[in-house]
Formats: sequence, C-alpha cells, structure tokens
Amino acid sequence: MTNWTVRMIRDAVNAGKTSAEAVVSDALRRIDEKDGEIGAFLEVFREDAILAAREVDARVKGGEILPLAGVPIGVKDNMLVTGHIASAGSKMLAEYRATYTSTVVTRLQAAGAIIIGRTNMDEFAFGSSTESSAFQITKNPHDTTKVPGGTSGGSAAAVAAGMIPAALGSDTGGSIRQPASLCGVVGMKPTYGRVSRYGLIADGSSLDQIGPMATTVEDIAIILAVIEGRDAHDATSMSLDEPTVTNLSSPSMKGIRVGVPKEYFIDGMDTEVATRIKEAIETLRQGGAEIVDMSLPLAPYALPTFYIIQPAEASSNLARFDGMRYGTRAAGTLEESYRASRGEGLGPESKRRIMLGTFILSAGYYDAFYKKAVAVRAAMKMEFDAALKKVDVIVGPVSPVVAWGIGEKMDDPVAMYLADVFTVSANILGIPGISVPCGTAHGLPVGLQILANSFDDNKVLQVAAAFEALRQN
Amino acid sequence: MHIDINRIATLAKLQLTDDEKAMLERQLPAILDYVSKLQEVDTSKIDAKAYLTTAVNVFRKDVPTSTIDERNAVIAAFPASNGGALEVPGIFVD
Repeated sequence: MTNWTVRMIRDAVNAGKTSAEAVVSDALRRIDEKDGEIGAFLEVFREDAILAAREVDARVKGGEILPLAGVPIGVKDNMLVTGHIASAGSKMLAEYRATYTSTVVTRLQAAGAIIIGRTNMDEFAFGSSTESSAFQITKNPHDTTKVPGGTSGGSAAAVAAGMIPAALGSDTGGSIRQPASLCGVVGMKPTYGRVSRYGLIADGSSLDQIGPMATTVEDIAIILAVIEGRDAHDATSMSLDEPTVTNLSSPSMKGIRVGVPKEYFIDGMDTEVATRIKEAIETLRQGGAEIVDMSLPLAPYALPTFYIIQPAEASSNLARFDGMRYGTRAAGTLEESYRASRGEGLGPESKRRIMLGTFILSAGYYDAFYKKAVAVRAAMKMEFDAALKKVDVIVGPVSPVVAWGIGEKMDDPVAMYLADVFTVSANILGIPGISVPCGTAHGLPVGLQILANSFDDNKVLQVAAAFEALRQN
Repeated sequence: MHIDINRIATLAKLQLTDDEKAMLERQLPAILDYVSKLQEVDTSKIDAKAYLTTAVNVFRKDVPTSTIDERNAVIAAFPASNGGALEVPGIFVD
C-alpha cells in the first residue's frame, strides 16, 4: 500500500487480508526511510508498537471487528501514554514519564489502533511553526526548507510524508488546522467539549481541543467517532446527541447554505492563496451549495482577543512546572529553585507567553486586558450565533500564507502570531473547524477552512467530504 | 507602554537573563499595542463569563480510584522524595 488510508487498513486487517503486525512493520520501515530528513517524530515506540499489533491480531482472530484495527497513529508529544516520555516539546519535561494514559489514547487502543510514537511540537503548544520545540526542527515534506506549521507540525508532517496514515494533534488557536493546511493534509478541531482532554498537557484550558489529522475526510470521521464523547475525567467533555457520522460515501451540497464572511479576505493575504479559496467556493457552488455573502464585523478582533486569553490561561497552567513535582529541579532555596528551574527549563516563546499572561492578569491591568477580552469573546459568540441562523457553515482560508522558510519569523512574535488570524475564532467560540486541501499556491499546499456552530461537527464533515469528492471529479 | 520586567518576572517566578529581559522589554509592548485594538469594541452591554461551555455543576462521587501502583509511579516521578512523600526545599526559612 503506497497511498494508505485508515479505512483501507482497518478493513484489510478486520478481513484478515493483512495483519496489524505487517502494517506496523510497514509504518516503521516508512519512518526509518523518511524521518531522518523530516524530523516529525521525537520518539518511535518500536517494541511497544509491535507488541500492541500482535494483541490486535489476536483480537481480530478471536472474531472482534475493530473500528481502527491495526491503524498506526502518531500522538503529539503533549498526550500521555503510561511509561512513555511526554515532554510537550520542552526541556523542562525531557525526562518526564507519564504515570497514566490520556483518554484519547485509551480509546484509540481499545479500537485497535497502534500508538506508533510521539510527534514533535512547539514547546507547550506555543507557536505556529514547530520551531519552538526544544528538541528539533521539523521540515515540511513538500519543501524541506519550509516549516510544517504548528504547533502540531510533527503530526502533520508525518502524515503528509506518508509515514503514518493518521495522527492526533491538539488545537488551541489553530494548531491542528494550520499545519494540516501547510502540509496538505486534513485536520479537524472538534467542538470544545466533544473530545476529552484528560491526559493532555494543558495550554489554554478554555480553548484546547484534541482532534485527528489524516489524508481523507472519512478517516477524520472514523477517528473522531472513536475518541469523542463524555469522559468522567474531563468535566468539560459532553455526552453527544449526535455522534459523528462516519458514512460519508455520498455527501451532497444540495440545499447547504455556505457563508463567506468578507472579513476572511484581508489586506496582506497572499493573493494566490485567496484565489485558491475563491475557486474552492466556486466548486461548492457548482456542487449545489447556496453561497451567502456575509459579514462578521467582530472577526478582526479574534486574534487580539486570543493573544490575551491564551497567555493568561497558559501562564496559569504553566505555574505547575516549577521543578517540584515534574522534570528537573534547580538547586537553592524554594524561591531560587522555582525561578531557576523555570528559567533553565523553558524556552523563549514559553517565557514570552508566561510574562505576557502574568502582566495581563496583574493588578491594574486585569480589567483593561483580560476582562475586556472575555467581554469581546462573548460579543463574538452572539454575533456568530446570529450569523449561523442564516447559513449552515462558514468557509474561508485556514492560513493567509503558504508554508514559510525555516527561521523567517522567529524574531518577530507579532508576525508569527498573525499566521493564526483565521483559525483562532473557532477556539474563541468553541466551534468545530476543519482544514481540507484545496490546491497549491507557489507550489505549496493551501487549505480550505469550514466552520459550523457548536456540536455541528457532522455538518463540517459533510461539507468537507462533499468538497473533497467534487475536487476529485 | 512601559512594563516593569523585573516585577512581572518576580510574579511569574521566572529567572531571566539580561538578554532575555532586553528582548522582552522590546517585544511585550509591541504585542500589547497590537492586542489593545480591543478597546475599540463597545462591550458595555455584555454580560461576560470566562467559559462558553454549557456544562454546569459537573459532579462525581468522591471515591478513590487510583491503585497503589499509580501512587508509587507518581512518587517515582518526583525530582526528590522522602519516605513516600514529595520532598521540597524548606518553605519557612530565616
């Protein structure tokens, strides 16, 4: 299998046409062949993966039909797997071994998936290029002089390079969708509360969501159906009235109203990217969708809102990394040890976000920054809910630009933050969003973003699957 | 906007080098200038909450579910432990 999908693998393994062990051996061979150049994996769980594959083969022989039988899946380095290092891309946690397993990984394993290793990421999921990893630079498989996007850049690159058919990422401001767009794969951030975050190292707790990355929309749906739903270990996870529909074989755009906000085409956006998005919208129209021009006047305030709420929450979440219970501890009195452990263990972007968040939450500035951002967030939610009464989904670009050169934006944080301009809305609003490939600009992949209202994840998948099918015809 | 980097670093319990301080003195005002754009939005009529989730009062039974092995694994992961307890530098010192 050269062009393998989650569906092909699990059907073949369930039917006894191949074994999970053969699939995993193939994945390991692909990783050996390609990852030296790409740098997507921080660690490959070689022995564990083979042992797990043999267990899956025994279960299938025993008559079980598994939704992810033998599917090798990479997990971002911020999701815990018992006994394995989970470093969140940070030197602070370079040696930290998880003492329990995240709910998403438990559910994947129960469904027959094989956890093949942990993928590279920006430290604590702060960044847009995966260059803030304390360990290595991950390269874009379409052009190894370019970044893969971030923060789930390792997961995106591993799937794009064909090393694995699917991976998990986490998305706090676009960290699944943006690298999916830049690497030319499909990546989905589900509705806030759809997937448990138990065992995910927290970034911004009102924003974080785990989601799948794969090469087809159907594969995304298959994985989402496995990992979603209420989990007693995450109080924000919800039981679902409408579980994910995985049968997307004949999606239709007939009668679907597609909103196109004018604010999603901004000055400074790459014109070739804008052209690809407009062509994608035309494809949807030809497929039977009704295109509705609309306006979301508060959309331009999404990014400044995000860069207040995210650092505020992240600086609070990162207080636990003080050298006392995890990772490496510096010598000295308690106060000296706290300061030195954090000073030595954290990288530049983490320090920037901690300082920013601490400032924003400090006496005298809390009202002007944090409280204001929370109020704008609520206003944006009201505006969005009203807009979603007139349309089923909203479409636009994922990223204003294609993958940029490695090192190009590392000295200018605001320029780096602008890469998230179209993706942060979904996190601020808690709504689902997907990036689906829609062609290339300057020879590099471009992603179409599809958004819908909270818990309308099936609408997002339906439109994405229809678009994917229309493009192939 | 002026930011007292040393004061914020103390609040954050974060040791910074002189180079890092100089960089943050330059970059943080630029980021705060950018996010200050929010002051343009009229929010006088908004009743805001920090979370958008519709979940309220999520309770569970207060029963221990962890095993002794899990407890031991957590203790083993501490940078320093003493008799099954987390060991830290003295909290009350002269």
